[in-house]
Parts: sequence; structure tokens; C-alpha cells
Amino acid sequence: MNERTSSWSAPLPLSVDDRKALRSTLEARVAADGTDDGTEAGDRDDRPRRIRGGAAAARAALAAIDPVAYGASRNHLDGAVTRLSPYIRHGILSLNEVRNHALGVVAQPRQVEKFIQELAWRDYWQRIYIAYPDRIWHDVEPYKTGFDASDYESSLPEDIIAARTGVVCIDQFIATLYDTGYLHNHARMYLASYVVHWRRVAWQAGAAWFLEHLLDADPASNNLSWQWIASTFSKKPYIFNLDNVAKYTGHDVNTRMADNRVLAHSYERLGELLFPNLEPGHG
Amino acid sequence: MAELIWLHEGALRRTHPVFAAANADAAVIFVWDRMRFKAGHMGVRRQLFIHETLAELDLDLFEGDAVELIPRLITARRADRLLVPASPDPAIRAQIAAIGTAMPDLTVDVVDEVPFVTIEAEPDLGRFFRYWNKARKSALRANGL
Repeated sequence: MNERTSSWSAPLPLSVDDRKALRSTLEARVAADGTDDGTEAGDRDDRPRRIRGGAAAARAALAAIDPVAYGASRNHLDGAVTRLSPYIRHGILSLNEVRNHALGVVAQPRQVEKFIQELAWRDYWQRIYIAYPDRIWHDVEPYKTGFDASDYESSLPEDIIAARTGVVCIDQFIATLYDTGYLHNHARMYLASYVVHWRRVAWQAGAAWFLEHLLDADPASNNLSWQWIASTFSKKPYIFNLDNVAKYTGHDVNTRMADNRVLAHSYERLGELLFPNLEPGHG
Repeated sequence: MAELIWLHEGALRRTHPVFAAANADAAVIFVWDRMRFKAGHMGVRRQLFIHETLAELDLDLFEGDAVELIPRLITARRADRLLVPASPDPAIRAQIAAIGTAMPDLTVDVVDEVPFVTIEAEPDLGRFFRYWNKARKSALRANGL
């Protein structure tokens, strides 16, 4: 075949065998990537069920949501969260469809306002992505931590990547991220805050790490949320303490003080430790 | 003349408005674009999730660089119109623009997602609640109307 013929011949779609081979390769890499072995985790232990792709799985997930209970319990790791985000991220479900479904199960829209407001966050992030694409990887505003952007490490430390920070609840959240490709929003906030404020790592490094592992990875939602935690897109840095973790997590998360000492302080003390350049009360 | 619908990873459903905008016999493709996936930090779990989703969509799956592959498909199939779901992703937007530049006679239609809310003027995006104050009324209505 000469070069000209090769260049302009019609590309061929992947054959059925090619598609199966691609899937097998991906499944093998996923199995090697975490502790997930591809089976339904919920069938054999209490780990979260693997979120599967496809319209049928999306419809089943949508039918199962409780948008009223969501409003009351969404901040708890065992609350009535929906796990719809991977389907929304990939356009398998539209925001409009999900909103209409939620409105359809209640008498008054106010009953599902909190749920719809969370859908609106995604719409908001997407609008920023389109209007200001340069904000996705660059600081929207300066850090309000008493440090300059240059004070933050540009790459993630190895112990964080390996889920061996020694802060046990943090390591558990990282393991869940690797095993399932999903994290409750509160766990995302804890992890992001730990990375940026306890370890003084630039939010961009953490954001890229989440993008690689989250099934719902979206540069706008993810990166701008990291910026919100970091304080480059908010009035002050977001921090948490061990009491807060204990309040919002169930028995599956280790919140013993001896295993999580760097988190076991009052907010006032954490402010002094994490942001020594700030005046008291600004952390 | 023939039409081609290029679905990407942000619009993986048959009810996307891009289908209503196209002829019923338009060919539907997805390009497994490893370079773009890598540049976008797409991990292997997401790739498997997308592959599982593609398995339920009646489309042809190609592998390669979309900017190189799609013009060849357009030429081979004598298509004169390319339809693509709108995307905020600068990488996808750049690829759409590059294809349009490479094929000036091709009609390229970027089709918007169903809107979530109806807001007359572009809201202040400086903070979420400035946006929400403008969007709330519409957001709490079916179809955002």
C-alpha cells in the first residue's frame, strides 16, 4: 500500500474482538490498580458497590435516589447520597432529567431544594469552565493562608500517593478513592484540606490526582472545589478537625485520637499550627 | 449527503439533542483518543466506565487522534455535516475547531445540552450564591422553564 492510499483509506472501527480486548485490558488494569477484583463488592462485604457505566445502570441509580432524605443527611458519609455524579459527568443523565425526576417524587419543589441546589453547583462550575477556562488550573485569587503560591510543593508526596501518611482516617479515604473511584463529598474535602493545608502541597497537584482516580472527574467541579478548599476561590481556607470527621463518618472510619494525632486539635489551635503567618482568628 | 455524529465522553446518551438535530440515518462514532484521555488525567477506572457505557450505545468505536481520524472518515463517507455535542473542555473544543479549519467545506454544528436553568442575562459567576440567586426560581421548575 503506498503512502497516499494509506493516508486516505477509510479508518475502520474497532471489531467486536478489538472492543473485547480493550475491555479486558482495562479490567485487568483496574484490578491491578486497587483492591477491587471486578466483582460486586456489595455482595461480599460492606465496601461500596462498584459504580458501573451504561444507561441501564444510570436509570437504576436515578430510580433509587431519595432526594428528600438527601437534604437532611447528605453531609454524612452514610447519608442518602445518590452517586449519580459519574452518570451526570458523562452526559448519560442530564441535569434537567435528574431535576425533573426529583420534582416528580414530591408535592412541593422546596422538599428537594437542597438536592436541586447541588445539581446547580455543577451547572455553575460548567459555566465558569466555558467563560473562564484559564481558571481551571490557575489560582483564581491569591491564597489567604499567609503563604504565597510558591510556598506550596508542586507535586504530591509519595506517602500520600501510597496511602501511608500515618493519619489513619486519611489513609482510609485514599484507599477508598483507589478501590472505588468514588468518594463522598465530605471525604473529598477532608483529603483536599489535608493535602493543601497540613502538607502544604499546591492544590493543582491534588486536583490532578483526583482527576486520575475519580469516576466523576470533571476539571471544573474538581479543580474549582480544590481552589475553594485552598482559599484561592474562597474567603478563607477550609480546615477540619478530628471531631468533625467523627461527627460525619460511621464506624468504618478510624477516628481514634492516637491514630490521627495531627487532626486532633481545636480549630483555634489548628489555625495557629497551619497558618502561623495569619493573625489569630483568620484561619 | 451524509452526516456524522461525533459523541465524546461528556455526552454519552442517545437522548442528547445532537440526535434530534441530525438526520435519522446519521452515522454515530466515538473516538478512543488516548492522547486526549492522557492529557485530561483520565484514569483507567473512568476509561472502563466509559467503555461500559459505549457498549450500550449503537455506535462505531474508533481509536486514534480525533483531529486526524475524523476528516478521513468524513472524506471516505462523503459526509458534508459533522454534529458534535457542545463541550466546555478546551481540548475537545480545540479539536472541533481544528477539524473545521482542515475541512472548510464541512458544516460543523455544535449542539447544546438541554439547559438546566433559564436565566435572561449571564449571571455573576464570582461566587455560587450570586449565581444561585438568579437561577433558583428556574431551577425549581420542571425543564427549568
